[in-house]
Amino acid sequence: MNSANPTSGHLDPEPLIAGNQTFRSVTERVCSIVEAKTPPIWFIAIGLAGSLAILLFGLIGYLVWEGIGIWGVNIPVGWGWAIVNFVFWVGIGHAGTLISAILFLFRQRWRTSINRFAEAMTLFAVICALIFPSIHVGRIWAAYWMFPVPNQMSMWPNFRSPLLWDVFAVSTYFTVSALFWYVGLIPDLATLRDRAKTKLRKIVFGLLSLGWRGGNRQWKHYELAYLLLAGLSTPLVLSVHSVVSTDFAVSILPGWHTTIFPPYFVAGAIFSGFAMVMTLGIIARRIFRLEDFITVKHLDKMSKIMLVTGMMVGYAYACEFFIAWYSGNIYEQFTFMNRAFGPYAWAYWIMVTCNVVVPQLFWFRKVRSSILALFAMSILVNIGMWFERFVIVASSLSRDFLPSSWDYYSPTIYDVGIFVGSFGLFLTLFLLFIRFLPMIAMSEVKGVLPQANPHYHQPAGTHGGSR
Amino acid sequence: MELHETSYKLKSPSLVGRNALMAGIIGSLLSIVGFFLNSPQFFHAYLVAYTFWLTLVLGALFFVMLQHLVGAVWSIVLRRIAESIMSAVPLMAALFIPVLIGMHDLYHWSHADAVAVDHVLKAKSAYLNTTFFIIRSVVYFAVWFLLSRALYRASVQQDSRFDHIRLAKMKRISAAGMILFALTTTFAAFDWLMSLDPHWYSTIFGVYVFSGGLLSSIVAITLICVFMRRRGVLSKEITHEHYHDLGKLTFAFMVFWAYVAFSQYLLIWYANIPEETIWYHARWIGSWKAISLLLVFGHFVVPFFIMITRPAKRNLAMMTTMALWLLFMHWVDHYWLVMPTLHQEGAALSWIDVATMLAISGLCVWFIWRRLSANAIVPVSDPRLAESMEFTNV
Amino acid sequence: MVTTSGNPVGIVAEFDSPASLLHAAESLRDAGYRRFDCHSPFPIHGMDRAMGLRRSPLGWIVGMCALFGASGGLLLQWWTSAVDYPFVISGKPFFSYQAFVPVTFGLGVLLGAVAAVIGMLALSRLPMLHHPVFHSDRFARFSDEGFFVSIESSDKRFDSTETRSLIESVGGRNIETIAD
Repeated sequence: MNSANPTSGHLDPEPLIAGNQTFRSVTERVCSIVEAKTPPIWFIAIGLAGSLAILLFGLIGYLVWEGIGIWGVNIPVGWGWAIVNFVFWVGIGHAGTLISAILFLFRQRWRTSINRFAEAMTLFAVICALIFPSIHVGRIWAAYWMFPVPNQMSMWPNFRSPLLWDVFAVSTYFTVSALFWYVGLIPDLATLRDRAKTKLRKIVFGLLSLGWRGGNRQWKHYELAYLLLAGLSTPLVLSVHSVVSTDFAVSILPGWHTTIFPPYFVAGAIFSGFAMVMTLGIIARRIFRLEDFITVKHLDKMSKIMLVTGMMVGYAYACEFFIAWYSGNIYEQFTFMNRAFGPYAWAYWIMVTCNVVVPQLFWFRKVRSSILALFAMSILVNIGMWFERFVIVASSLSRDFLPSSWDYYSPTIYDVGIFVGSFGLFLTLFLLFIRFLPMIAMSEVKGVLPQANPHYHQPAGTHGGSR
Repeated sequence: MELHETSYKLKSPSLVGRNALMAGIIGSLLSIVGFFLNSPQFFHAYLVAYTFWLTLVLGALFFVMLQHLVGAVWSIVLRRIAESIMSAVPLMAALFIPVLIGMHDLYHWSHADAVAVDHVLKAKSAYLNTTFFIIRSVVYFAVWFLLSRALYRASVQQDSRFDHIRLAKMKRISAAGMILFALTTTFAAFDWLMSLDPHWYSTIFGVYVFSGGLLSSIVAITLICVFMRRRGVLSKEITHEHYHDLGKLTFAFMVFWAYVAFSQYLLIWYANIPEETIWYHARWIGSWKAISLLLVFGHFVVPFFIMITRPAKRNLAMMTTMALWLLFMHWVDHYWLVMPTLHQEGAALSWIDVATMLAISGLCVWFIWRRLSANAIVPVSDPRLAESMEFTNV
Repeated sequence: MVTTSGNPVGIVAEFDSPASLLHAAESLRDAGYRRFDCHSPFPIHGMDRAMGLRRSPLGWIVGMCALFGASGGLLLQWWTSAVDYPFVISGKPFFSYQAFVPVTFGLGVLLGAVAAVIGMLALSRLPMLHHPVFHSDRFARFSDEGFFVSIESSDKRFDSTETRSLIESVGGRNIETIAD
């Protein structure tokens, strides 16, 4: 659980939370962010992010009016940035549930500091992701055809299509993540309710916290519900990106159709998701002075997870390449040579550099403890992961089976604008979240403080938590 | 069987080792008879039994490395058992010799005349050729041997005096070891199992073979614990909480196996490209269909519904039954991977299948048991051992 | 510190640590109390046993709902694809069970998760926006750093003086009578 620190040479579990926190100080520290006066920098940030979000909605309006011809898609590259961005955002949305579910099942108690905002990030990333498939259908007023609702043609959606699996997988994922997030919030909302000074806050947090009394007769069900949600989310999180991968892998297109795709996509999703958690976590701990909660240890562990998942992605690249040769299939072989040395070679090598070479720096303790290096690397990883999806989509499609239809894909200003705008929406939602809700799971953090253990003995001469 | 109270060594070695060795010798003699009566059947049966045990042993190696990397505490009391299993690598290397002898019977690509008239095999011959195959095999065993020996030695040396530096060293070995392990097991799976059908390919195949091996190693650890518990060894140290956790891991890796198996199947079924579907087609002919369905239900569906409940994971009789059953399913899995290349009309169980399994199982159990009784059966001086024994599930 | 309005419905006492709360729970359990609860800012390890509570039945509820969701999902796909409007797509059978696995699984998880949340709320009698314990002045600290025991006067063993002294003997402070 608590991994030993090899150089310092002791095995005593080190505190997960720094700064000799008490129960009270945790409450104070986390609630003060929400209760204090809004800092000016927040207004500046949301102004910028909000403008980008408005840009997004404006461009979507134009897209609906004009049609997807404003994008750079062509024949044969009929799937351009929209699908790339979709997979990119869904991937980012995997870390939150991974942290709240899988690390919970593995009893990794360090997760308590980062799970709340990672889960929030998941929700917002999935919202961004859901935009792209919805708008790329062209006639978005007919998007309800994707759901099994009776319509005037008395037809049903095609359940044999992976695109429909996507609809179910991603919307299920969004719902379950939202439920999980809300369940985690209930005790903290009760804290905000009990501290509320204004009538409005009392009513809002009173309603949201559902009358939580923290009695063990409630905790008993609550803990089991949390465990069950974790148990359900774990296969869900693996399945969602596996389903996304089948959008490509069930086809017969070389470079898309390969059996490693499901686990390879899952590893990549966790990789990029942790990179985003790290980017946001480093900014948040700096601005809100949360260094005691999101410690260098937390960043260290996250970078190890990124190292592992980055290598899994590298393993998949290598495996694909080898099997493309081993298959003896000339189309497979051409596709992979084309990726590495063809017109999209620049994108391919950006991908390899950011996803395989850069994470190797995580082997060094020095790098893992340098905030600046981690920040830069986390951004590089997400650039690399975006390019991974771009390479998969563009390189395979642009080189059709029929050489006469080969073409090169370039994005238009609208492609770029919508993608940049989606970051605006993501950050707007995230800023709203950190302003109005506790960004650290207080009750969970209190639960991992040493004095929360009923067998805890207070060190002589001090007074523990409850003073 | 009894345990020395302070050194945690098995005091009076039980008959396990001797009986296993006897079984191994009898099995070997029968297998030799089988070899003379029907050598293709012998070699294929041997490969099934061999890869069954090899994947199990490598699964234990992975388990040990994983423990070191994540610094898990609950499983420290189980670590030596896993270490004893993984230390069977040298035996596995020796047992690989019959596979090399049987190469010609097993692997179509080793026939020069067949390659000469097959342009796909000709294209692959830079990789699939006898010399390179042997070189690669030697490399795999060298890697596994060095890793398992380094980890086993460091752990045993740890017993006399705990040393943080040594613990850190094991962690470092495991970190680098994971990369080597992933590469070697993948290519070993490609070489020894996937190339049985040299035209066929699947990128996930290495992960598939690995997932089954990992599951069977967890199950084997459970069985060893239960076996010793019945004889009063470690019955207080390895509690129901540990069995509960082993049960959870069994469940998780079983689902992982199913996930990997289904991923491979779904993608090949859906794309429906003949050069890929042929592999599943061969496993859907005649009685192979029954074996395929047995795997779906026996290796996943039925155990899934049994193992998902909490009481099942805390019930030793149930855990033992499931462990034995899943071990059997692991054998069926490998039978299903290997045998369709020989019996193309349908599954045909032969006494040679049983004889080779008896031979290799006997020798492996004997070898692993010797390792288990050579040293303390728990990492005695690990300071986290007490915590590991006391742990409870929430 | 007695809240005077309305009928007394129980008492609330404060404890100073998870350990003393756990100890109080054990004492109440051993004294035969049933209608009491221990309030804390976070779940305390071992409290279920200390209070003598049974395991939550939520697992079975969730399992059943997940099974219902999965089978319903499979039924939906079979009926729409193979019965109501059979349509040949990429040469696949109408009932392509292989292709129906992802949605079947997804709907199973969805219903399981919804059941986990609704079931948890129902079993904990939530939402319940009004509860007598909120009348206590100090009780609000439970969500910050306080540890409280609440005992309902409807408990068979409840006796205003005896219960109070039992609470005091195990370290309870600031004992309040709660009225509704």
